[in-house]
Amino acid sequence: MIPVDDPSLLRYNPGLMSIKRLASILKKEYRHIFREPRTLWMVFLSPAFVLIALSMVFTSGTNRIELALWDQDRTALSRQFISTLSSDADFSVRRASGYEEIESRLVGRHVDAGMVIPPGFADTIRSGDTASIQVILDGVDTFIAGQASSSLLGHAADFGAQLSRQYLVPPPPIQIKPQSAYLPEAADQDSMVSGLIPIVFSLPVIAAALALAREREKGTLETLVATPVRGLEYLGGKMIAYVTASLIGLLPVWLTASLLFGVPFRGSPILLVVLTADFLMASVGLAIVIGNLVHSQQAATVLSLFIFFVPAFFLSGVTDPIDTTDLVSTFVSYVMPSTHFVTICRALFLKGASLLELWRPALMLLGLSTLWTILGALTFRKRIA
Amino acid sequence: MINHLYRMCGLAIKELQQLSRDRLLLAFLLLGPLVELLLMGSLTGGGVTNLPLAVVDQDRTRSSRQLVAKLNRTDELRVTMYGDSVEQARSWMQNGDVAAIAVVPPGYGIALMEPTRSAEVQIIADGSHHVISTVALGTAEDVAAKIGSAESRPAASTGPIDLRFVARFNAAMEDQPHAITAMLGIIVFQVALVVAAQSIAREREMGTLEQLRVTPLGRLDLMIGKTLPTLIIGMIDFLMMMGLTVIWFDIPMRGSLALLTVLTIPFVLAQIGWGTLISLISRTQQQAMLFVFALAMLEVAFSGFLVPAGNMPAVMQVVSYISSVQHYLVIVRGIMLRGAGLDLLWLPGTAMVGIAVAVMTLAWLRLRLGLDPNSLRQRLATTWRHLKDCWHGSPCGRQRRARRGKQPEWQHEPA
Repeated sequence: MIPVDDPSLLRYNPGLMSIKRLASILKKEYRHIFREPRTLWMVFLSPAFVLIALSMVFTSGTNRIELALWDQDRTALSRQFISTLSSDADFSVRRASGYEEIESRLVGRHVDAGMVIPPGFADTIRSGDTASIQVILDGVDTFIAGQASSSLLGHAADFGAQLSRQYLVPPPPIQIKPQSAYLPEAADQDSMVSGLIPIVFSLPVIAAALALAREREKGTLETLVATPVRGLEYLGGKMIAYVTASLIGLLPVWLTASLLFGVPFRGSPILLVVLTADFLMASVGLAIVIGNLVHSQQAATVLSLFIFFVPAFFLSGVTDPIDTTDLVSTFVSYVMPSTHFVTICRALFLKGASLLELWRPALMLLGLSTLWTILGALTFRKRIA
Repeated sequence: MINHLYRMCGLAIKELQQLSRDRLLLAFLLLGPLVELLLMGSLTGGGVTNLPLAVVDQDRTRSSRQLVAKLNRTDELRVTMYGDSVEQARSWMQNGDVAAIAVVPPGYGIALMEPTRSAEVQIIADGSHHVISTVALGTAEDVAAKIGSAESRPAASTGPIDLRFVARFNAAMEDQPHAITAMLGIIVFQVALVVAAQSIAREREMGTLEQLRVTPLGRLDLMIGKTLPTLIIGMIDFLMMMGLTVIWFDIPMRGSLALLTVLTIPFVLAQIGWGTLISLISRTQQQAMLFVFALAMLEVAFSGFLVPAGNMPAVMQVVSYISSVQHYLVIVRGIMLRGAGLDLLWLPGTAMVGIAVAVMTLAWLRLRLGLDPNSLRQRLATTWRHLKDCWHGSPCGRQRRARRGKQPEWQHEPA
């Protein structure tokens, strides 16, 4: 703070906060956002735009598994097996001869898996024994490898059942009756769209970190030092401006999710707005801490990209759920506001949860927003460096 | 020529000096990637583990307890709650306490003993998280199949055909190599993009771009002088992260490191091209950052890490070919994990070089238009005016004007 020699000056600066001064900071921040059409567009509409683009990727298409097949048996039965494979829409079969060829195709990623039918395949089956077929999977992408192995197993079982139709096949001892709660069928997209909402909101939030760093870099913070505006009023104005501006951006995001992608909304709309504001407070608070730590906008961008981009995307439970038995990963996930908001969004959109069922993530968000705001206020120094 | 070289180097040295003066920024740029790779590499790639499972055992026999114990023993599931009724378990799911519910109906144990009947077990998975529901159901199916083949009826599960699976390149089928290589690519991508995107936007916002314009620095000097420092930082980061990947995370390096390094250069250059383009069209660093973030999200979405490229809808698959991250991940995994050479990687390699050339050309064209963020719009407006004039001057346009009884603007007599 500036030392004040004349006590009469203090009457312009009574108390900790003044609504008037807060409002003037707020006005200035809004003017910053609204002045540039580009900034305005980016703060209000970019979340919806990014949500559309991200969600389009998750509309599930079907993956054909490319198979390199080496038939060493060359009998009617092995050809029958291959022809049922190639008529299956899940596979596309290419012939190969020799392990070297399969290997080089696997290395070059031309195929997802290789299959070798050994000599004597037909004879073994005719004699009533079990014939084995070797499947060489590409272990690098475990997801595709899993997909390939399960559909190949299903296919082999079908073919086996066809062959042994004359025998009585006993029913499997345990039958799993699967049921997916909340969504009628495997609707990956609904789950993904509602989970991505917190991620796309990091765009306007980082804008707040840069807004703070900009004042320091351009030296306008020095001008502010000369005014009676207090640190808390300044931070409060910045925070309210960016939280409310991003909150308006919720509307296009919501419309995109509900109308464009048809994601059901089963919870209470008021609760969503309130909890989004809570989430934005926590995120903008974190952004303010970032803005306080650095001296240039470039450093602020790098740091916020490191925090909001990769960890928020991969550790917040959007794709892989958080393993709560691992303390380190739980801690890292839980200090990020987006983790809790992912839970809230999915619960509100798909489960139709009420506040009674959401009190834990809501309370965590409240705690985080208090924590980050206090840290932001503590790290903020309204003075000339 | 020598002059040009001199100017370029001058600008590049100035950029590097500017970076090294901001110690915090330099630390973020050099150590940030390592810390992030370390964090992400240790925390992701473990697969889905320890999903909380609620059990509603209405059978209460030895076999049903055995089933529950088997479910608990898997890596994926962990029994945390025992419920009395399905309603109670469902309320736990609504709270988010459990990810799945296993309901063992009465008569399960008896049905399991009878060879002609199937014992039914219901698994209710939390469908609001698609990964949870897929993994929980898949694990339960596996457990059921294992119980079936191990205990009562061995003939049931093994048909006449037995598939023997071997996983090449990653015998244990671990997720970690896949996840860490993806992180490596994404982190190199974000560093190169962010440094390049702020370069010109920063000069513009600080007003130093005006000063640069009065120096004898040409456009090409500016472009190359700005590209070089970012390329250097990107490559240093890449090599350091490579060391971390191979030494700390023990990911094999089966191919040639030299080839991978050479192919990383066009990847970094493509990001610098994007960054320069963003830098030229944004007025402030804030705008540049927002563009960077939007582009980064799209590139990661299309990279094939979250959804395999083959699983995307056809239109998106075509769009995903523009994503340099996708091609880069193919190259990194090809060289590191599969030990592929250039003969097998020429396709993604060419695509990568093609993208780099295309994006750099776009940036160069945009730079030629002028340094003002609005110069594209101005140029378009000029072209539009020119076209309009041409139309007004053409016989067709003149006729139409005459029919409307209007004179073209340029024929107006000064009042």
